[in-house]
Amino acid sequence: MIFEISNYLLGISDTFSFLRLVNYITFRSIMAALTAVAFVLIFSRHFILFVHRRSLLDQVRETGIDSAFDKRGTPTMGGLLIIGAVLVSMLLWGNWKNPFLLCSVAGMIWFGLLGLWDDLSKVRMKSGDKGMSERRKLLLQGLFAGVFAWVAAGPFSPLGPELATKLYIPFYKHPLLDLGPYAYGAFIFLFVLFVCNAVNITDGLDGLAITPSIFVVGVLGVFAYVEGNRIYSAYLHYPFIRDAGELTIFTAAFVGAGLGFLWYNAYPAQIFMGDTGSLAIGGTMAVVSVLLKQEMLFPLLGGLFLVEALTSQVQDKIGVRWLGRRVFYRAPLHHNLQHKGIAETKVVIRLWIMSGILALIALATLKLR
Amino acid sequence: MLKISLIVFFLILLFSISLLYGLSRRWKRLASQDSRVLLTGGGTGGHVNPALAMAEGIRNREPETKFLYVGVKGKAESVIVRRAGYPLRFVLSQGFPGLRLSPSTLLFLIKVSVGIFQSMILLLWFAPRWVVATGGYVSAPVILAALLLKSLRIGHTRIYLHEQNSIPGQLNALLGRWVDRVLLTFSQTLSFFPKNGVLVGYPIRGSITQKPREEAQKNLPFRVPADRKVVFAFGGSQGARTINRAIVDALRFLIPHRHKVFIIHGTGLNKSFEYDASKDTERRLQKAYSPEELELIADFYVRQDYFHNIGDVYSLSDLMVCRSGAGSLNEISRLRKPAILIPKANLPGDHQVMNARAMKHAGAAEILYEDTIVEDGVVLEKLEGRFLADRIMRLLQDTDRLDEMARCSGTFLRRQAVERILSEMYEDKAYNNGSGYQALPFKPLLTNGQLLAFLSQSQARNPSHYNPGNLLDDPDDLIYYRHRAAGLLSHNAWQDRNLGVKLIGLTLYSEKIPTLLHMLADRTPVSRFKEFLGGDFEQVGFIRRNVLQALRILNRFDGEVEKHLFMALEDPYFEVRSQACVTASHFGFFLSGQEWWFHALEQRLQDPCFEVVIEAALAIGELGTDSSALEILLRMRESRYWQVRNAALKGIQRLLQRKIIVPSRELLTETGTFVLTSTDFRPHFAIKETYKNLQKYCLEQLLGERPADEARLLVERAVRKHSS
Repeated sequence: MIFEISNYLLGISDTFSFLRLVNYITFRSIMAALTAVAFVLIFSRHFILFVHRRSLLDQVRETGIDSAFDKRGTPTMGGLLIIGAVLVSMLLWGNWKNPFLLCSVAGMIWFGLLGLWDDLSKVRMKSGDKGMSERRKLLLQGLFAGVFAWVAAGPFSPLGPELATKLYIPFYKHPLLDLGPYAYGAFIFLFVLFVCNAVNITDGLDGLAITPSIFVVGVLGVFAYVEGNRIYSAYLHYPFIRDAGELTIFTAAFVGAGLGFLWYNAYPAQIFMGDTGSLAIGGTMAVVSVLLKQEMLFPLLGGLFLVEALTSQVQDKIGVRWLGRRVFYRAPLHHNLQHKGIAETKVVIRLWIMSGILALIALATLKLR
Repeated sequence: MLKISLIVFFLILLFSISLLYGLSRRWKRLASQDSRVLLTGGGTGGHVNPALAMAEGIRNREPETKFLYVGVKGKAESVIVRRAGYPLRFVLSQGFPGLRLSPSTLLFLIKVSVGIFQSMILLLWFAPRWVVATGGYVSAPVILAALLLKSLRIGHTRIYLHEQNSIPGQLNALLGRWVDRVLLTFSQTLSFFPKNGVLVGYPIRGSITQKPREEAQKNLPFRVPADRKVVFAFGGSQGARTINRAIVDALRFLIPHRHKVFIIHGTGLNKSFEYDASKDTERRLQKAYSPEELELIADFYVRQDYFHNIGDVYSLSDLMVCRSGAGSLNEISRLRKPAILIPKANLPGDHQVMNARAMKHAGAAEILYEDTIVEDGVVLEKLEGRFLADRIMRLLQDTDRLDEMARCSGTFLRRQAVERILSEMYEDKAYNNGSGYQALPFKPLLTNGQLLAFLSQSQARNPSHYNPGNLLDDPDDLIYYRHRAAGLLSHNAWQDRNLGVKLIGLTLYSEKIPTLLHMLADRTPVSRFKEFLGGDFEQVGFIRRNVLQALRILNRFDGEVEKHLFMALEDPYFEVRSQACVTASHFGFFLSGQEWWFHALEQRLQDPCFEVVIEAALAIGELGTDSSALEILLRMRESRYWQVRNAALKGIQRLLQRKIIVPSRELLTETGTFVLTSTDFRPHFAIKETYKNLQKYCLEQLLGERPADEARLLVERAVRKHSS
């Protein structure tokens, strides 16, 4: 909104020349981040009380770990705060004609609503195990993933026809291969499903999902800035993606909202993000990675999410259901660490450190190519 | 063009509406003028015979009645009904395969839809006054079609559904809600149909009546010596393998009593590829007994595959040994005979078990459950001949009890079932079928999953005084649950076997300990692919782990248990090793002071899995008998995991409690060298504590202490948890 108004005023008269600032991505990013933080910090208390009064409280899953017991009754659906903050911030500072922004916001809102539905049904069924059925959840996630795969790999791709179906990998300057629209579309489809569910699985301890997400989204923001900038992209041998700079602002708002949320979500949490938050974050990360052609960076950048998802799936699908034994002591990773006698706070901080290191390595791929 | 097609369409519509109207008028006229009855139901003789008995009753009352029997091609009805001389028509139908998306469900839907259409045509053409159904999936399309036509006001008929068993089948339970009357055999079943259920009994065709012994003897090809007690063992018209084999095995134990008993054995007509009743029995006899023994046996044992005049055999007998299908029970009850019932397990709703229990509660029968075993790689149901012989002799020698049972048997089920049904149909109030019989409080058996949830909750609450017998209302239930659990052990899916292992522990079925131990030691490998992914043996890790847990609950210790437990310490799966250590300390009283156990546990302290090390340290505290135990435990002071160090300290504490070591200054200094930093802590939320205390106080004041209700609540919760 401010972007449009300022540009309009700039066109009218020279008096408003100081408003040229809004045409700088860095300025708008910082403002977007600050707005998002402020939004969360201001509204959190009211939101928490609102949720508490409606008894929209977290329902515990039976994981067999003691500490989960003390968490019963923590307000959930904190994801709404994150989504709200990003939306408000982007309303103020975003350029809504930008297709990159529209795709990312659409992803965030779709997955957010999906998660909200799941959270609400969990509350209604009074059990953490009985939310939306797994099949329906996958179906709705797949619906978005399918449409998005078409958008990203199809004829109207915001990336342009040359770039749309090429696959880039980290540490290598040139595109690895051109997959063609169908194979690449299928790849995006699976990628989106995998990432959003990986974040969902990671969201198990206080503050565990949000900080690594901040790292991931922050690094993606840097990539967006580089790829959206003609000079830097040429210097670092990245494909120049026109308009991708807008994603920097979006990711900045996201990082801001995440920081604000961490304020309340840090151990002992006053609010959980719920599936609303974890699915929205996952969906956003997936969409942004695809739009920046950094899908193959995700296993490195979001290595924590990858490991969490894999341990959980291997343990459940291969071990417990099929082989009839535990493959790990417990799964996913964070529960395994807890089981080994590491306190929740320590597990969380150690995993933050790991994801921070991974983010740094991922950032190094900017130059190391 | 469009206009023409519209006109044609309306003409067709008009024509069909007027046709239906005409048919409806015709139906009304015909149904009120003549007596027309449509019979349906079948699949097995158990469904067909009651229908024929009812038809016989109606024909006696109104000889001009027109009948039409609707069945499925190739089933029991196509033989029996033809022989009885009723006109027979076929429709399509199939058994309900369960609610899931599969080709068989699709086929079911198609077949039943076609069947409903066929039934509609039959109904419109025949225009019956009554539709009499006896269950079995054959009757489903007919009832559905009749209900549909009735609700469209085209059909003018009354629908009667007869339920033979104490637990209605799925389709009967569903359709029974909408039919005019559900005619019931067992009073327990009233609770399923509170609105339209009437208790009438089981209609039997007129030929079976009690005759004097002499008269009954006339038609039989063998003679029964006068002073013998006669036992009649049979497994229905097709025969039952369990009963046939058990009888053959029991003969050995009956030889000493050969001057007192006489066994009449109906082996059944089954001649399938899998089981040929008479040949199998013959072969078993030849194999088990020497010629001299066979000669002795011939003195008190006759065998025949089928008795056409079964009424005569019944009349001769003093005791029955049979399955507990509704038909058999009713014939027994009609002739006032006591019985030993061997219900077939794992039928839908466990209805044979429920039937048998109903008869036992009435005081007319005793129950023996069959075991599920694996013999030469084939899963079989088996009943030990020794048990059967023992039970037979015990009953035959106790004449008072036998008489009392016979008396109870006579009053067990309603008599004059046909007359009662007719009074319901003609609405002449000749019999009172409603009042006087209260719906007995009916408790269905728990499913295996429900049972597991219920028992494991109670066990977790009070492990030291756990006794499943006190938790279940009926001690018989426990016996049946035990047999059902044992049956699971021979299933192919490891999940089922695992459930069986848990249930055997929780039902304290200690006779099965050898089987459990065998499973624990079984080293049959899994497929290569599974092995590659981390699988090991057919009896998967969870099963072996749960065997050890079950052994602790069963709490029986002997040499075999010790041997297997010792082997489990070296199991490739870590949970088994750690549970073996737990079990070792559970049996610490027997194992302490044994050198090899101590060394084995000491080796477990080097285990790569910390869980095992923890349990081994605790076990050493439980088993150690001298100061070497202390030294070993002190060595773990710098272990990487705080839980291991914690366990070592606990072990030392246990050694102190057991007075193996005594407190001393040195001990204080030594334990002082333990690394006490820890990566874990328990948070304490003061406000949550306060809140909990407040709630607890209020609840105690409100409810008081009511431990008796606790068990009931537990069941309900377990059931709800499982079913929701």
